[in-house]
Amino acid sequence: MSIYAAAFGFGLVSAAVISIAAVGFTMQFGITNLINLAYGEVMISSAYAAYALNQAGVNIWIGLVAAAAFGAVLSFVLNRLFYAPFQRRGTSLIGLVIVALAAGLIVSNVLLAIVGPDSVSYTVADAVVIRAGGLILTWVQVVVFLVAAAAMAAVHTLLTFTRLGKAMRATAANPTLARNCGIPTGRVIDLVWVITGALCGLAGTVAAIDSASFRVSDGATYLIVILAAAVLGGAGQPYGAMLGALLIGLMTELSAAALSPQYKEVVAFAVLVAVMILRPQGLLSKIGALGQAG
Amino acid sequence: MPADRPAPYLVADRVTAGYGPVPVIRDVSLSVATGEIVAVIGPNGAGKSTLLKALVGILRVSGGSVRLGPDDVTNFAPEALAGRGVGYVPQVGDIFEPLTVHENLEMGGFLLTRAAVARRIDEVCAVFPRLGGMLRRRADKLSGGERKMLAIARVLMLDPRVLILDEPTANLSPQLADALLRERIRGLAAGGKAVLLVEQRARAAMQIADWTVVLVSGANRLEGRPAELLGRPDFEASFLGAAAGPAQGAAPARPAVP
Amino acid sequence: MTAGEIYYATTLLVYAGVDAMACIALNLQFGVSGLVNFGFIIFQAAGAYAAAVMSMPPAAGTFQQYVGGWGLPFPLPWLGGAAAGGLLAIPVGLVVLRRLRTDYQAIALLVISVIANTVITNARSFLNGAAGLALVPPPLAGVINTKTIGYQWLYVALTVLGCALVFVAAQRIVYSPYGRTLRAMRERELAAGALGKNIVLLKMIMFVVGGVIAGLSGAILVGYIGVWAPDTWLYPETIVLFAALIVGGRGNNLGAVLGALLVPVAFEEATRFIPQFGPPGFIPAMQRVAIGLLIVGFLWFRPSGTLPERRRVFPKARSGGGREAPATDGLRGVPARAADGWGGPPVAPSLPRLRAENIERHFEGLRAVDGVSLDLHPGRLTGLIGPNGAGKSTLLAVLAGTLPASAGRILLDGEDITRLPAFRRAQRGLVRTFQLSSEFSQLTVLENLLVAVPGHPGDTLAGALRGRRAWWPEETRLVERARGLLERFRMTAAESQYAGNLSGGQKRLLEIMRALMLRPRVLLLDEPMAGVHPSVVDEIAAVLESLRDEGLAILMVEHELAMVDRLCDPVIVMAQGRVIGRGSMTALRGQREVVEAYIAG
Repeated sequence: MSIYAAAFGFGLVSAAVISIAAVGFTMQFGITNLINLAYGEVMISSAYAAYALNQAGVNIWIGLVAAAAFGAVLSFVLNRLFYAPFQRRGTSLIGLVIVALAAGLIVSNVLLAIVGPDSVSYTVADAVVIRAGGLILTWVQVVVFLVAAAAMAAVHTLLTFTRLGKAMRATAANPTLARNCGIPTGRVIDLVWVITGALCGLAGTVAAIDSASFRVSDGATYLIVILAAAVLGGAGQPYGAMLGALLIGLMTELSAAALSPQYKEVVAFAVLVAVMILRPQGLLSKIGALGQAG
Repeated sequence: MPADRPAPYLVADRVTAGYGPVPVIRDVSLSVATGEIVAVIGPNGAGKSTLLKALVGILRVSGGSVRLGPDDVTNFAPEALAGRGVGYVPQVGDIFEPLTVHENLEMGGFLLTRAAVARRIDEVCAVFPRLGGMLRRRADKLSGGERKMLAIARVLMLDPRVLILDEPTANLSPQLADALLRERIRGLAAGGKAVLLVEQRARAAMQIADWTVVLVSGANRLEGRPAELLGRPDFEASFLGAAAGPAQGAAPARPAVP
Repeated sequence: MTAGEIYYATTLLVYAGVDAMACIALNLQFGVSGLVNFGFIIFQAAGAYAAAVMSMPPAAGTFQQYVGGWGLPFPLPWLGGAAAGGLLAIPVGLVVLRRLRTDYQAIALLVISVIANTVITNARSFLNGAAGLALVPPPLAGVINTKTIGYQWLYVALTVLGCALVFVAAQRIVYSPYGRTLRAMRERELAAGALGKNIVLLKMIMFVVGGVIAGLSGAILVGYIGVWAPDTWLYPETIVLFAALIVGGRGNNLGAVLGALLVPVAFEEATRFIPQFGPPGFIPAMQRVAIGLLIVGFLWFRPSGTLPERRRVFPKARSGGGREAPATDGLRGVPARAADGWGGPPVAPSLPRLRAENIERHFEGLRAVDGVSLDLHPGRLTGLIGPNGAGKSTLLAVLAGTLPASAGRILLDGEDITRLPAFRRAQRGLVRTFQLSSEFSQLTVLENLLVAVPGHPGDTLAGALRGRRAWWPEETRLVERARGLLERFRMTAAESQYAGNLSGGQKRLLEIMRALMLRPRVLLLDEPMAGVHPSVVDEIAAVLESLRDEGLAILMVEHELAMVDRLCDPVIVMAQGRVIGRGSMTALRGQREVVEAYIAG
């Protein structure tokens, strides 16, 4: 049985990592109505930003903060450079999806040209193993879990208690009415990109810390897992994304323990297909549901 | 124009606007003074809602001008108009459904300081005591009447000088509609706001209005004091499509613009 | 040429053929039908794997693991590859295409593409996992010597042959009535559905057709290169094909071929000739960046591509007399299709064309239509008016079959049609128009009319593939009918314009004409004058009057009461789901209840 207990622990850590990413992704979708397919690539780029600092001798936990800043700036620029102009022109949803896919291709290959295709890993302080019951976790995993918990608490605080967060939810729910209230929705959306970009950068680095090594092509894999979590929770809903992340994290790790580690992503896939078949109308259907978080 | 009409605050002067290349309203003019209720009525499809959207900056005005006191505010952004004291309650989508009542009011007061928001929520809840008891409830759980109250309370947060209401009584029972118009909206005008009201329930709106504008096919048809209009033979006919020619009738189609 | 140069040239030609086929398939799906298949590459991969395991010897005794290994002779592996692509499209299409919004369809297909790659990579015993299949025998191996230069040219010839077949089939589809229907679906899916087109079936068929072509292209490729592994079909390959199509020109098969030659072939080959610089992998990465920029740049500056979709212009009728003789006296002067044109004389003169008895329609307890009965007679234009929310549009939808009735009966010339779906009613001559414009923007005015007619022999995949001969007679007949309508509505000059470029009023006229293409007996119009410039309102009114005088039964919902006054008799007034008055507008104006409904609201 202890193999399942251990898998449960790993699942919690995976879920923690996925939740940071999925919440950022789902907020982008809920407020700006854009499916940002470059999200995984921004994650991995941010992880490399932290890696550059880490190589220069900076502690990885400081690198984490820098990566969040990097993700924020990159996301803001992507929106201003690619998405916002097409949205202003009234490009169809599907046109925007193609633009986002092209943007992702550009980001990942610029990164590839700079860092090359090989796997790298961070220099992290020696892992102290913590055992509690059947759970076996390293100190790093515990910190990763705590970072995620802190990020989730911060998102919750933002959306529930701050004026900016409420304005984000109001903009998601009814952008015209928000403007009639005097809310500068353009600036709110800029800030959405900055904040979700920071989550994206944080998530990428945390994911890289959690895995033994990482490389540029991991960006695509991240994206799939995030899509699965966001869809499972009902896209556009941050709390749904947290729940989706928890389910995906646990399911992938437990199935890895029960079947074979190779099939982690396949489980995520099976979940996605099941959701698509069973409740297609619910799949990503609640545009602007972001506000329902409160 | 009767001499006893007060000096106007909100003025629409020959406003032309629409959604595509073909305008829905053409050369529509009206004015509202502080403390006055002006009702815009007319058959459906007359362009009443379109007019309001053009006035609050949601639709582009392609011809004519909109003035607020001495300032030309034609094609100002909605958020800029909100800052200048124009409050707008649309017919649908009038509240933020996923937000709580309290959060809706906070968003209504987005331009105020934190302290002012709290104070103003108290003041607004004094006007609408029922809302005070349901501040934590999600707005989409409200009944039709409560919902409209919240929508009006939300625009009152900024204490606007102009209140623009698009069919506030739609989907309300006749009793609720009557109460809303007679008690609430009358009271707001008495409190010094310029109220521009679009209504499907023409007769009910005219009972509380100081001035009534009849819009037909996107143009001014008739206007005047409600009592005078009700007595005119061409008034009912204007609703049922008989009388033609926008310049007909005793009252001028366009108010004289100062 | 040296042997090396010839080998290089033939390789390039085979690649060009394979990419051209793939782009044509993607054009049929994305360019013509609007299906954003972000998982396109998996269908090519399915064809390649299928062809490989069909032509390879049994796996036992080799160093590879794979299923199949039947050692089948050419051309069976190619056919098998095509079949595999098509078969894979069925389950994928059933999951993705039925009820998802288009952007979610795209995402779902992208996910499926990535995951399929992961699964194949990890499942070693199925198709040899990450290492992939190697030593795939080339076609005709063992029959002729495949190591010669002559074989290289033979392979090129076979590829070109396959490519040509695919191109001809794609041209036949794109330029047939079936292709027109596909483009209508792309432009406005709901409106195409309202014309009785089976949207899910159309999408599924194009998904399978694209899958077959993609599978064939994979089979040809694997037969030539002899290896196939997961890292040859990663999802960015799909993006490259999309880039090719966007650069070349969506909706145009020649554009697809051009895009294939420009992007995957010329663009990738060109970099062979620039000196190596930067770290290894730098140049391919920069290529991908450039492909991303190409997509964004073309979408921004030239969204229709290098060779845009061709506008269909039908040849003018040859007979000189047809065009000049009539058209003398405006609308009514044109020889109308006489009184029998709109459904023939009624069954009995006293009987109505359409009779509705006690129609009810409930929404969640609300009675939107509450016991309405009405008769529509030939040669009568009946008006339906009432304040907002009276239930007029709902009643219209129930009569047309867009919404089912909760209670009541609907009879068309005495036949009970209450249970028939909308498109069956339309086939029987009960046709409606919509309040919102529903034109197909990127179809010409004439095509908008032609697409409405059901039962066209060229409006099936088989009919389209058989070629023009199979459907041209019907097409000519319909073009003639459509031109008659255009002349009558004074829109002949706009015949070959894109419908999206018409004015609001012309779009309403187009919609009425489209309804008339179905030779209706009863026409239901939902606010035909809404959003129309006043100068066109009179034109529409004149058209309706003439149709009425020719014996068509018309019901019109309209807000513009002056127009109702001029055109309609009788007029039916609804309020709160019920009929509160009937008669002439003049009489109704005197009825207190009607006046109150309008003024009290």
